[in-house]
Amino acid sequence: MTNLVQKQKMNKYIVLLASVCLLIIGMILHVAVGSSAVSFTEVMKAIFAPDDSKQTTIVQTLRLPRAVLAALIGASLAAAGALMQAITRNSLASPQVFGVNAGASLAIVIAFILFPDLTSQSTVYIAFLGAALGGMTVYLFASGGKTTHVKLALAGMAVHLFLSSLTQGVIVLNEQATDVLYWLVGSINGKDWTHVKILLPWSFLGLLLAFGSSRSISILVLGENMATGLGEKVKWIRFFAGILVIMLAGASVAVAGPIGFVGLIVPHIARKLVGGDYQRILPFSALLGAILLVYADILSRFIAYPFESPVGIVTALIGAPFFLYLARKGRNIKQ
Amino acid sequence: MKQVKKFRLASIAAIVSILFVLAGCGSTQNSSKENSDNSQKVSVQHELGKTKVPKNPKKVVVLELSFVDALQGLGMKPVGIADDNKKDMIEKLVGGKINYTSVGTRQQPNLEVISSLQPDLIIADVQRHKAIYKELNKIAPTIELKSRESTYEENIDSFKTIAKAVGKEKKAEQRLNEHEETISKLKNELKEESGQTVLPAVVRDTSFQAHTSSSYDGEFLEKLGLKNAVKNKEAYAEMNLEQLSDINPDILILANNEGKLVTDEWKTNPLWKNLKAVKNDKVFVVDRDLWTRFRGVISAEAIGKDTVKLLNNKQQ
Amino acid sequence: MKRKHSYQMLSILFLCLIITIVISLGVGAVYISPGEIFQQIIGSSPGSSFILTNYRIPRTLIAIVVGAALAVAGAILQGILKNPLASPDVIGVTKGAGLFAVFILIVCPTASMLLLPLSAFLGAAAIAVILMVFSYSQGAKPHTLALVGVALGAICQAGIQYFMIKFPDDVNTTLLWLTGSLWGRGWSELWMLIPCVALVPFIIIFASKLDILNLGDEIAVGLGERTKYVRYTLLSMAVILTGLSVAVVGSIGFIGLIAPHIGRRLVGSRSKFLLPVSAAVGALFLLIADSLGRGVMPPVEIPAGIVTAVIGAPYFLYLLRREQKK
Repeated sequence: MTNLVQKQKMNKYIVLLASVCLLIIGMILHVAVGSSAVSFTEVMKAIFAPDDSKQTTIVQTLRLPRAVLAALIGASLAAAGALMQAITRNSLASPQVFGVNAGASLAIVIAFILFPDLTSQSTVYIAFLGAALGGMTVYLFASGGKTTHVKLALAGMAVHLFLSSLTQGVIVLNEQATDVLYWLVGSINGKDWTHVKILLPWSFLGLLLAFGSSRSISILVLGENMATGLGEKVKWIRFFAGILVIMLAGASVAVAGPIGFVGLIVPHIARKLVGGDYQRILPFSALLGAILLVYADILSRFIAYPFESPVGIVTALIGAPFFLYLARKGRNIKQ
Repeated sequence: MKQVKKFRLASIAAIVSILFVLAGCGSTQNSSKENSDNSQKVSVQHELGKTKVPKNPKKVVVLELSFVDALQGLGMKPVGIADDNKKDMIEKLVGGKINYTSVGTRQQPNLEVISSLQPDLIIADVQRHKAIYKELNKIAPTIELKSRESTYEENIDSFKTIAKAVGKEKKAEQRLNEHEETISKLKNELKEESGQTVLPAVVRDTSFQAHTSSSYDGEFLEKLGLKNAVKNKEAYAEMNLEQLSDINPDILILANNEGKLVTDEWKTNPLWKNLKAVKNDKVFVVDRDLWTRFRGVISAEAIGKDTVKLLNNKQQ
Repeated sequence: MKRKHSYQMLSILFLCLIITIVISLGVGAVYISPGEIFQQIIGSSPGSSFILTNYRIPRTLIAIVVGAALAVAGAILQGILKNPLASPDVIGVTKGAGLFAVFILIVCPTASMLLLPLSAFLGAAAIAVILMVFSYSQGAKPHTLALVGVALGAICQAGIQYFMIKFPDDVNTTLLWLTGSLWGRGWSELWMLIPCVALVPFIIIFASKLDILNLGDEIAVGLGERTKYVRYTLLSMAVILTGLSVAVVGSIGFIGLIAPHIGRRLVGSRSKFLLPVSAAVGALFLLIADSLGRGVMPPVEIPAGIVTAVIGAPYFLYLLRREQKK
């Protein structure tokens, strides 16, 4: 019996180690791949023994921040997704399905139209507002009785459609054609350290708080009866987790637009690999999310060569079929 | 109850059939208006075929800015322009206030307004308005030319076609000769700069779109003796800072969009500061409408004069 | 009592429709007074006849037919899926039509103008077929249909965005088409909608079957209905209606979602009344949206798809409050 438990623990550690390695490899690859040629040795030199050469500048000022950003956003979105799935006890929940992404995006687009000189810092707060409104709308729609998969999927899709058609409409009427897709789909192209600086505090705070409170989050998924028994506390945990979601997802959208499917898929994979305990799922989702987005961003440079695609399209092209797979399974996945 | 139901069904049917009758009457009606002599027509070849255009049309409706420029060069003023609701942009183009009716956006011009103007000729952009060619022809003889996707040479050809359509071929020849003279004069004034690489680009808040040697402005600048930094069959190329720093043009010409610009962030990057153009203070901001939207004989000359002014100022 | 009320409702709606038609015919960059319209009917005034017959009349008729078609499709879907939030937009049918159309728009821009509507229709049909195949094994339960539909919609959306990235020069045209608008639609487009009108008797017949389905699968089977096939037939009808509509005007959203709701509030859930009332409401909705789009700031036209989204918003939120109160 103990052997089995020990074996399981070993497995989990192996998985953890493998993931960390994958992430590091991914980030190095990410930095190495780009529009101008920078060889692998030059990349290593730039990171560990920087000099004044052009290659180093490229790596340090353009590539590295983008890789770091990909990892951070991936981690934040995945954690946000895991949190949402816990709050709603619905395996289809995610910032995108819940209109959180779309809400944040719409708020930002409208803000830019009304106040074109908005600083990047203030964009984050506007994103929070939009994210909160979007999320609440879907939540109110999908709750009331059992939050079944179907209710949630339909509510989320309806709100998402509504918000993105408004976003689309606003942008089309303002003739900013090429930038539309960016705000509808999410992209990390051309981001640098300023963006990392904006995102970092929120991501860091959000992730830290999420990991710290993972015990309480586990309570949420214990099931209806247990949770009601603990009454008051559950409401507050839900609320707190909701704030974290808005923080994590909102900040990500403010910096990179509404990247979808990461929050949906990653918690599922995490669950398959490390089991149902939220104290493990939360940090592991973050790790997996980082990996997913880093590799997706690498892919995004190739799928429409020679154009760079927004990473949101890659996550959509991978994630949507996965969503279909989840939909066919169709039953409420109890933790 | 059944009787009531029948009555309602009958009345609904009646209303619907009245509407269809109206429809029937309408569609057989001949709608083209002959504003000039039937016998006097000029056959004009354009991108979508041949159209018989009445001789010396008086009222012309144009659906793109380059056509406004062309008519201006021939001494004509259109009665209707698709101006995206920006009257001041048109004033900038023709250099003063003119009397015309706005027919809406270039993307979706308002057919009702166009028809209410009862034009003799409609000039449309083959890329944007191919789908409504038939509809436009019902209103008035229509020719469709390349505007949005035209190169400099194609634009000159369009100018000649328009001249044929409005019966001012002699004037066109004269104007084009003046144009050639102006260009050689400008080329002369730029003699010291000739051979340098230039990169014109449109800058937005998330993209930097370079105009290559196949673009309108790119091609025109080459005529003035300035080499384009990007030789490509495609007119436009999206670029990031890495690629820009690889290309490293001598002169950078930026047509900026309103609002936030991606270059605002680039300016803090050492890669930008190390660009030849930045170090030699040869980065110029120009008017986006003039450089990328107008296009035409007159606008090209204005672009040329602009370039000379910017570059020669730097010499002093 | 309820019946009489329903008939009254229908007649009121038709009256509204007539009034709106007259207004819609008059509104636009060139204002045509009702008096002139009347003169047109009795055949005397030649003045504004060009605009009326070439633009306003066909456009008004298209708005009515498409509005009604989308509303009925929405009502059918909400019935089959037993969920008030179902509609062709949400179930991925509209997106599928959009995907095929975008593909043609971008990849063969020189194709004949007939190809575009055809591909839109094929797209809608393709999604429907996939939907049916995927849910066949589970008896086409509403549950599965809904979820699979949403997922398919997401896939199509991803595909559309991918195409727009790969061919950036056509993004603006594509987006404009996708937003849905009646600009430039005339008689040739109206003829394409004839099958919608032809479907009407079938829909009326199947309406009663929809009610039986809503009693629950066991009862329905007990009454002799083969639930799976009835659902499939109704789904096909909804798809034809949607496919043709998208083919003609692009993807105009929210009519299929909101019109049946309003209909239900007016006359309850009996399909015999719900369907025609929803149709009338849908027609009114689109007609008003298009008129607003044309008349608000001429000569610029706001695409009807944007107007429906903007009008739909407050109503959507209102729906939300109601759901919350339950």
